[in-house]
Amino acid sequence: MNAFSFSRVLDFFRGKAITIPPMDGALRPNSALDDAIALAHIPAPDNLVSSDQRTLFSSGKSLYELGTQGGEPAAIAHFDSEIAALAACPDGGLGLALDDGRILLLDGSLKVLSTIPAIGPEKLFCPTALLFADKDTLLVVQGSSHVRPSQWARDLLELGCSGSLWRIDLRTGNHEALLKGLAWPNGIAAGANGAVVVSESWKHRLVEIANRRTCTLLDKLPGYPGRLSPASGSGFWLALFAPRNRLLEFVLGENDYRRIMIAEVDPRFWIAPALSSGIDFREPLQCGGVKTMGVHKPWSPTRSYGLLVRLDADFQPVASYHSRANGTRHGITSALDLDGRVLAASRGGNSIIELTAGAKKP
Amino acid sequence: MALSESLARLRYKYIPDHLIGEILSKRWADNLVPLLFLLLTVAGLGSFIPNFFTIQSLSDASRQLGEFSIVVIGLTIVMLGGGIDLSVGAIFGLTAFAAVSVVYIFAMPIWLAFLAAVGVGALAGAFNGFLIGYLRLRAFLTTLVTFIILRAIFDILVVDHAAEIQLSDVSSPTWDFIGDGTILNLPVSFVAAIVVAIIAHIFLTRLRPGWHILAVGGSRRSAYNAGIAVRRTIFMSYVISGVCCGIAGFLIAARLSGVGPGTGAGLEIMALTAAVVGGNSLGGGRGSIAKGLMGAVVVLVLTNGLIRLGFNSGANQMVLGVVLALAVILDVRWLKNRHKMLAKVYVAPIYAKMDASRSAAPDSGSPYALNDRLANTEFIGLGELEGPEDVILDNDDHLYCGTRHGDVVRYFAPDYKRHEVFAHTGGFPLGLAFDRDGALKVCVGAMGLYSITPDKEVSRLSAETNRSRLSVIDDARLRDPNDCDIAPDGRIFFTDSTTRYDAHDWALDSIEARPTGRILCYDPRTGKTRTVLDRLTYANGVCMAHDGQSFFFAESWACRVSRYWFDGPKAGTVEIVIKDMPGYPDNINRASDGRYWMAWLGMRTPSFDIALRKPGMRRRMTRRLPQDDWLFPNINQGGVVKFDENGEISDVLGNLGGLSHPMVTSMREHKGYLYVGGILNNRIGRYKLDGADPAWTSNRSYWGAKS
Repeated sequence: MNAFSFSRVLDFFRGKAITIPPMDGALRPNSALDDAIALAHIPAPDNLVSSDQRTLFSSGKSLYELGTQGGEPAAIAHFDSEIAALAACPDGGLGLALDDGRILLLDGSLKVLSTIPAIGPEKLFCPTALLFADKDTLLVVQGSSHVRPSQWARDLLELGCSGSLWRIDLRTGNHEALLKGLAWPNGIAAGANGAVVVSESWKHRLVEIANRRTCTLLDKLPGYPGRLSPASGSGFWLALFAPRNRLLEFVLGENDYRRIMIAEVDPRFWIAPALSSGIDFREPLQCGGVKTMGVHKPWSPTRSYGLLVRLDADFQPVASYHSRANGTRHGITSALDLDGRVLAASRGGNSIIELTAGAKKP
Repeated sequence: MALSESLARLRYKYIPDHLIGEILSKRWADNLVPLLFLLLTVAGLGSFIPNFFTIQSLSDASRQLGEFSIVVIGLTIVMLGGGIDLSVGAIFGLTAFAAVSVVYIFAMPIWLAFLAAVGVGALAGAFNGFLIGYLRLRAFLTTLVTFIILRAIFDILVVDHAAEIQLSDVSSPTWDFIGDGTILNLPVSFVAAIVVAIIAHIFLTRLRPGWHILAVGGSRRSAYNAGIAVRRTIFMSYVISGVCCGIAGFLIAARLSGVGPGTGAGLEIMALTAAVVGGNSLGGGRGSIAKGLMGAVVVLVLTNGLIRLGFNSGANQMVLGVVLALAVILDVRWLKNRHKMLAKVYVAPIYAKMDASRSAAPDSGSPYALNDRLANTEFIGLGELEGPEDVILDNDDHLYCGTRHGDVVRYFAPDYKRHEVFAHTGGFPLGLAFDRDGALKVCVGAMGLYSITPDKEVSRLSAETNRSRLSVIDDARLRDPNDCDIAPDGRIFFTDSTTRYDAHDWALDSIEARPTGRILCYDPRTGKTRTVLDRLTYANGVCMAHDGQSFFFAESWACRVSRYWFDGPKAGTVEIVIKDMPGYPDNINRASDGRYWMAWLGMRTPSFDIALRKPGMRRRMTRRLPQDDWLFPNINQGGVVKFDENGEISDVLGNLGGLSHPMVTSMREHKGYLYVGGILNNRIGRYKLDGADPAWTSNRSYWGAKS
């Protein structure tokens, strides 16, 4: 606290600048996501998984199957709460987390086998991603100990750091917290040698957890990392669901302003990252985002962005696919690699897209 | 309202933060730091040392000051020309010797001694000037060499002739008067310094060679390109410095009636410190004689004070060195960061609580509810036009608008496909109005109020108004003339939106939210402009009411439309017509049904409304974030609203998503169509109005059927 106040004193004289990492190197912007083919248009698609030769995804409270020959996606199951996360079990079943905190285990015919209820705020409350380590072990990350998955923006604005990683033994029902105090863990993948890799959104980084020790694999990302999914060959796909924004990072330090905004303003109109933006006139606007002479500058500061990153086996970025400030395929929340065919769910752009061959090699 | 918010409101209401930026933007702001330092030094030493301010003490000091400040003036002129003169001490000593030897050794008249001193000084200066100006050697090394050589000559001469001088029995009352006498109770040397300073000041600020020196110091290359004889100018600056040393040397010779080995020793470091502490830039081009004098006083007060405090001369030198170092650091940092600092501190937000408005959401059911009707417009000039802030049509249905290139463009009826540049005004033409004779009155952003006759002749009507008594910035000049309208008697009422920002920075004014807008009146009978209303929050659109005695005006950042009566029984009164709108109003114009059209340039957002209650947050935002990242009102979506004299809203035209007309700053009804312009748009929209009078034109409404 002392160091903080001292720097505030210095800031008075020199003006402390807020900076965010540039999109450069493998993260050089392009318009690959906007150029991609749309496979389906559906409100807020999320959670692409491949289960038993079928491609499934969620949209709101429903589970959909993507048509194989370009047909419309078909709803195959409905639930009484929004679907927060999906994972395919090696035995052909599905793990499915709901916004109210429950986790359902389904078999191949989508029959509910068992339910892991929300068991108190200290344990399961906010499942944001699931991973079957094997058919009897489920890894769960929970974003926060007190807000629901759909309220992620509130957790960010409240500087949340109460996420955790859990291992659930499906045979015995034992729960074990592997790690606590994470800043909205939001994606999970199996790393090398039994390690678990988690994306920690509010700290813009990927951490590896092995034997209760953590190390940072990748940090200073220009966006908020979300779901991780394995890529064909080796490596992973990382969906960054929203961009970092200097105004937001400034607001995170303005406690008074932030408190009033959270209390008085509809969350849709907060200064907060979003999955899509520029739709309603009550949304905040930044100077650079002003449309001038009919042009919305693609590099302008924005609350939403589309960014999908290909990571190598060491979790370092090698390629990226963008939809910039003036694009529409924003809020990429998950990706699925089907032997080289890469699908992505643009939750903000209400579409499921397939990266074209041309776009694949930037 | 929370206590902290009430405190914030009071604090931002009564502490004028904006003055810091306004003062820093003045050229004389450079003097403030040296002046402060001067006052501190005098006050500090004066309170420490008894009898510091007695007549005797002051008289001694002022005698020293006279000689010293003349040397500093010379050095200041050299520094203003971008050079430096380290040889002033040596020249000073040598000229003093020259004067003394003429008087005592050769027993010649005093005026010859003066000429000898000045001549020797000029010669030494010319030597420096020749090497530095014409041979283009480094000023620092060259004058250092001159210093060594001249000092050596001086030492040799003093040793050889000291006895001769001391034994001389020449005595001259004139000589004694110059040394000890007073004019009007002021020592002669002090009077001489005043005279030299006045001459030097006039020379630098009023005469061509002085300007040339400043120009060369400011930018040698530019001065050369402008045709200034750079080499000669530099040469001259050293000669002037030499002459000044000569005058000073003559004066000290008279005062001491002789010279010693110590005469002029260490003077260069004192003079340099004085010039720099006064605020003259080492890089040249920035500074003044006054600054040099201020520095001279500081240095003398400091050295004398330290001596009287009992410090030895070594400590004295050290203090001078430290002061010089500090001054140099300050000078370099100041020059480098002045613009940055100004940019950072200029925006000085105030507390501005916006009251809740009725919603403009499409499904809200409020009278303001936006729709998407403006999406269905024909586009005029798409891709050709840039920045049609206002649009207007003449009696032949031709369409006029301004562009950001400073043109007024005319699109030809009936299809508006062809266009020509009607007139070029420069600046940024904004509000437009036709007068009775068909001349177009134009508010040109950053310039003033202009008139364009039908024959395309451009003339300036007004570029200034009366200056208010208590403003730091020059509020007589028009910074952002925005919209105008014409009363039946030909008076033109127009808005100057802000006195704080230039026209192209208009949106920054929204962050500050400080009410500095004005409504001005240009009277064609007198040709004079005067301020009618002030302290408006971004005064924007103006529109004559149908009664011809009043006009409506919009205050954008206050989301308010008011009415002002300039004639009739209610003359001089202002009434609020509409307040707390969900959008920011821009231009207002007449509608065919007796109501009025108003443009919304943007929409309020909850996040910005809260920011308006947090001036500290906005100030930190402007300091810590680049401008592109600042929070703005949402000016990517606007609309058109129709209202009547009671403020009732009867129609709203919007463009949800802002794909056709992101920002609407003006609209004009003409023969059943509405023409829509936007300052950041690249098109004009033409919208068919259902049920509007197909014969109605604005010109007829103003000036009758004749026009």
